[in-house]
Amino acid sequence: MEGTNFIQTFIKWLASFEPRVLILAASSLGAGLAMIAGIGPGIGQGYAAGKGAEAVSLNPKGSKQVTMVMLLGAAVAETSGILALVVALILLYGNPLVTAQGAGIILAASAIGAGFSMIAGIGPGIGQGYAAGKSTEAVGRRPRLQSSIVRTMFLGQAVAQTTGIYALIIALVLMFANPLTKLL
Amino acid sequence: MEPITGRALILACSAIGAGLAMIAGIGPGIGQGYAAGKGAEGVGRQPEAQGDIIRTMLLGAAVAETTGIYGLIVALILLFANPLIGLL
Repeated sequence: MEGTNFIQTFIKWLASFEPRVLILAASSLGAGLAMIAGIGPGIGQGYAAGKGAEAVSLNPKGSKQVTMVMLLGAAVAETSGILALVVALILLYGNPLVTAQGAGIILAASAIGAGFSMIAGIGPGIGQGYAAGKSTEAVGRRPRLQSSIVRTMFLGQAVAQTTGIYALIIALVLMFANPLTKLL
Repeated sequence: MEPITGRALILACSAIGAGLAMIAGIGPGIGQGYAAGKGAEGVGRQPEAQGDIIRTMLLGAAVAETTGIYGLIVALILLFANPLIGLL
């Protein structure tokens, strides 16, 4: 069977490197994977921007109020992107896996896993941006109801954030309190 | 085939990582396109408010751009100021 199974060959090839090399290589992959989360806030905030433009066209006098609600909602939608950026920067500049004890292949895979985990940020980004857009639309239509509209928006956005926080927790556990290395 | 050094593997993975980071560009593209569409729709409906509409649209689109910029920064760090090589 020697050399016929691609996965076996690949694992053997990986094992020919020092553990530190594997961890550092995997960390660069993880940093890249984490940044994929940027898709979410990009779509969501763009939706909010579009709804803002629409609301101003329907109610030009409420331009300032509409813009403020749009920016408020977009700021919340940004959080998942920032969390992904933080995880990527930790992997690049404060990597705890390099000095961690344990099998190199597990620590390397943990870096990639932390990056994959942060991709979940796409969801909250899109969802919160949608909420921001709809709130902007509503404030443009009924400016006097601004405070209750914004309160409802924040409440919904907080719930939408939960899965992003779960992803962040898993990424941080993989990096800082990895339970897998102790199981070997 | 010549043997692959550890340094080469890290650099190769950095290239892949830089490419993966730029996938984030999907989001701002979709979002800003939607904003541009709605902006055009708004100007068509209310031409005299064009200045206000474009200002709101550009402000929102600038916010939507941020995550694309983050992806670009991480990619540029991986390419030009790779901190992982120094850790080897």
